[in-house]
Amino acid sequence: MSTFLQPIEHELGPLLARIAGGDRPAFGRLYDLTSNRLFAVVRRVLRRPELAEEALQEAFVRVWQKANLYDPAQARPMAWLAAIARNQAIDLRRRSSERIGEELDENSAGGDGQSAVLPEADLALELKRLRDCLSRLPENRQDMVLLAYYQGWSREELAAQFSRPVTTVKTLLRRSLITLRECLDGRT
Amino acid sequence: MAEPKDLEGLAAEYVLGTLDRGEREDVEQAIPADSELAGLVAGWERRLIPLALALEPVTAPPHLRDKVMAAISGSAAAPDNVIAIERRANRWRGAAVASWALAAALAGVILFRPPEVLEGSRYVAVLQSEGPGPAFIASVDLASGTISVRPVSATTPSGKSYELWALGAGRDKPQSLGVIAANFRIPTETLGKVDSAALGDTLFAVSLEPEGGSPTGQPTGPVMFTGKLVATE
Repeated sequence: MSTFLQPIEHELGPLLARIAGGDRPAFGRLYDLTSNRLFAVVRRVLRRPELAEEALQEAFVRVWQKANLYDPAQARPMAWLAAIARNQAIDLRRRSSERIGEELDENSAGGDGQSAVLPEADLALELKRLRDCLSRLPENRQDMVLLAYYQGWSREELAAQFSRPVTTVKTLLRRSLITLRECLDGRT
Repeated sequence: MAEPKDLEGLAAEYVLGTLDRGEREDVEQAIPADSELAGLVAGWERRLIPLALALEPVTAPPHLRDKVMAAISGSAAAPDNVIAIERRANRWRGAAVASWALAAALAGVILFRPPEVLEGSRYVAVLQSEGPGPAFIASVDLASGTISVRPVSATTPSGKSYELWALGAGRDKPQSLGVIAANFRIPTETLGKVDSAALGDTLFAVSLEPEGGSPTGQPTGPVMFTGKLVATE
């Protein structure tokens, strides 16, 4: 699988440049290359299929509108696209009535990172580093971070799940993120 | 760290996804004008994105592709009131342009940048009506000699066409630049003599015309949008 990811990444930058100029075939190609990876992202956040589809559609419309703002110096194309998709999905989740009650059945934060593809080399390295840093957090805080990142859980939802006050969850999250940053940025 | 000033924590939680709806909207609205916040958010996106990229791909339902392609042709796109224009090479100036564009869009007309910044080769005009409604982005690339006009969220009423006009800058009457279609491009020769200063003074307008464009060579329908150019690069 890793062999097909790399060429895609190289094709995405030029595609985004063409899309910024209003090139619809380029946009269609971008959709074909990336929709399965972006759908994976939004489907984690939105379990209801119709909401996941709505989020993916919104994400691509946003890509069409914002392609001129893509800055290769800031992010790789796939990272930029995935961030847009995640943000659309989380916004939609907040707007919708979707709540943890209907999805607790299949949630296992620990299992989330394991259903991964074999990523391209530098991503694999970044991912390993991130996982290493995450693994230094106490276990329930790892779960909080992963549930939030993958499934878009709010502080309130985390508070309910972990039986802690919302303010405590906020404190724990921010502390965890600072710890994570220090680890990732090399000040361990 | 003091609670209200924890911009880093706010950016991190925004990216993590734990903010409530109101807080998320606050952050999203603040980003274009707040370069510090934008930088922090970008940093957190970069740190955490490997988790999202590691997910196993899931094939989207096949019918979705048609819906997405239809949405970008304008038929189903949600009206987007706020259009940010950003310089790629120069962040702070990008933010300045975005707020210009936003303020001007709210006023109904895009103001032009002072002439000295019209040195670059790319210019952009946001053609936007007041309130929620369709919008176009017109961009001029002097290097490649093209003007392209992109509907952002415009739906053309059936039996009608949008036509683009240039006004002012020495023209005694509106000059038709053509009917706006998908991926609409106009050679800059069409604009006549193009020098940077004159381009900055040109007012662009979009009118609603019978299908195929104005039969008289002058705008006959209502003028939907007007805008002037701002330099982007």
